[in-house]
Amino acid sequence: MTEASISTVRPTVKPAGRAKERTYWGAVVAKLARDKIAVAAICGLVFMISITLAAPWLTHNVLGFDPESTDLRHRNAPPTWAATAWPLFQQFSTTCQAGQGGCRWSLWGTILSDAATGVGQCFSAGLGNCHWMGTDDAGRDVFSRGLYGGRISLRIGAYVAGLTMTVGVLMGLISGYYAATIIDDLVNAIIQTLGSIPLLFLLITLSRIFQPGPEGLSFLIGIFGWMGVSRLIRGQIFSIREREYIIASRALGASTWRIMTRHMLPNVASIVIVIGVFNVAGAIIAEASLSYLGVGIGPPLASWGNMMQGSLGNFTDAPWLVLAPGLFIFATTLCIYLIGDGLRDALDPWVR
Amino acid sequence: MRKSLTRYLIRRGLESIVLVWLSTVIAFSVYQLAPGGPLQFLDNNPKRTAADFTRLTAFYGLNRPVLVQFLAWLTGDDWFSILPGGQAWQSGQCATSPDRCGHGVLRLDFGRSFYFQGVPVTTVIAQRIPATALLGLSSLLLSVLAGVPSGVFAALKRGRWPDHFVRVSSVLVNTVPEWWIGLLLLIILGGYLGLVPLGGMQKIGGGGVLDLLHHLALPAVVSAIGGWIGISRIIRFEMLDVLNQDYVRTARAKGLAEQTVIVRHVLRNALMPFVTGLSGIFLLFLSGSILFELVFSWPGMGRLAVEAINARDYPVMMGLFVISSFLGIVGVLMVDILYSIVDPRVKYEL
Repeated sequence: MTEASISTVRPTVKPAGRAKERTYWGAVVAKLARDKIAVAAICGLVFMISITLAAPWLTHNVLGFDPESTDLRHRNAPPTWAATAWPLFQQFSTTCQAGQGGCRWSLWGTILSDAATGVGQCFSAGLGNCHWMGTDDAGRDVFSRGLYGGRISLRIGAYVAGLTMTVGVLMGLISGYYAATIIDDLVNAIIQTLGSIPLLFLLITLSRIFQPGPEGLSFLIGIFGWMGVSRLIRGQIFSIREREYIIASRALGASTWRIMTRHMLPNVASIVIVIGVFNVAGAIIAEASLSYLGVGIGPPLASWGNMMQGSLGNFTDAPWLVLAPGLFIFATTLCIYLIGDGLRDALDPWVR
Repeated sequence: MRKSLTRYLIRRGLESIVLVWLSTVIAFSVYQLAPGGPLQFLDNNPKRTAADFTRLTAFYGLNRPVLVQFLAWLTGDDWFSILPGGQAWQSGQCATSPDRCGHGVLRLDFGRSFYFQGVPVTTVIAQRIPATALLGLSSLLLSVLAGVPSGVFAALKRGRWPDHFVRVSSVLVNTVPEWWIGLLLLIILGGYLGLVPLGGMQKIGGGGVLDLLHHLALPAVVSAIGGWIGISRIIRFEMLDVLNQDYVRTARAKGLAEQTVIVRHVLRNALMPFVTGLSGIFLLFLSGSILFELVFSWPGMGRLAVEAINARDYPVMMGLFVISSFLGIVGVLMVDILYSIVDPRVKYEL
């Protein structure tokens, strides 16, 4: 064998076309990007988050209202663009009441044209002259309160999801890893106890007694909301705890902590992400319900739930007090839900 | 009855007793922890004096150690007198008016309401049970009547419009508060069209059965929405599961008409676990829905809970809490027991 033959560089075979390297997360993102509904939902959520983040600027420079300044001369005023259309609509609805001889549908032509001109005028009205969503029972602008309310509602959603996921995953991990031991029994006992008491009742009581702020309220909602997550994670961990790679790493002397965080957690990551996203939507609705009952976020702070609380006595005269916050909630939770739905499909990228 | 089943039932029974006891502990400690103490409701009364506080503290025995108070609340303090020196542990009301001496939660005495001027809590709650039961029962009935057929349809027409309908409506139920849907329907149907009343259970002065049904219609339909969607999803899942079973394939292979296969083989097996569970779900419905009762001004237990919480009426709150946890725990216990008896495949270990 000569030296030359050793040093000869073997002609490399040029690959026909380099196979694109795809990691798991790369595939997930690629699949999510192809999902039109999910992309639209992400855009929608980004939009909602940015208008709520920009609320101080928007209310000051675009709407021209302070969300906390009351105006007792304009209590429960209809949206400015509907100022003339609203009385007509009320007239229409009185004719629709039972025993009034049928609806006067002819009114709708005027209602619609009035509303259309109203919208046009509203655009050119200038700062502080147009309540896009009317005013509430203290004469505050509903739209600017909705923007500010979103800051609280979204914050609570994020906090609660963070808390429930942390506690739920931790409890699930521990009880799944130590399944059928006293630790598992203890966690199960806690879950069963919390699952068998009327939680909404307890939540209302606690938030009435302690009257927490946004952080306290998220703590209360979160601390009673982790049981489902924990159960799910426990099941998953339980099904992988006897897999070969877990046994192998245990045989290699890996610590419990390492096995849990490096080998078990990545295997449940996709589930954790999906439930986490759904939990945000659930938390927003829970906050709205509590605040609607009058025990959540209290005035003068605005939240989507307590904006509706003001409507309790007069919802037929001022339906925008119910409609506007509800649509804010719906737009946000729908986006979150659809993102969760898309993620659920995308996180299983090899299933086509 | 098999031995393991008996053991399972005994274990579940004991567990439920512990759970009910725990719920009383939670109820008691929550109201003990409340800043201001149980007598905070007095703050609402401008004519209160410091003497009132001392008098009522002695009267309700709030100066006793917490554990004694808990024991007195749970088992009553009328029997304390048979203990040596037990009279010192009794609340003041035992000495002044022996008939008001507590019998304890175990003997269904939750004390007397602060807010409703000394009416026994059991009476206050009992007055609200019929309304809650009526609403709960009718919405359960509606959700089953609507949910079972739509679930069956969704499974049979998988991937077509009935299936999509169930999916889309379940998205809707998950993305808006259900009470908000109720509020909107109330505004449109009640406010603008005048088809349904704006709240309450009866006309002022009371009406007949028709009037009651008129008031019941919208609350029952709205509170049935969640159950309807939930039930149809469960039924769809069960149906799809059964449709893939070997015995269904066998039934088809031996040439049975599709209708016979569906009714005899699929429906029977898919519905059995559901029907078994229904009895327990019924009890869960009995504890009432706070939100729906508030939206529709329905005079039930849920609304009582909100009233009691706002008035800081601690005896009523504790009573409601214990009763609704009891109903929930017994409901779940019934579901478990019936499942294990009906379905021999259920394993009794965890």
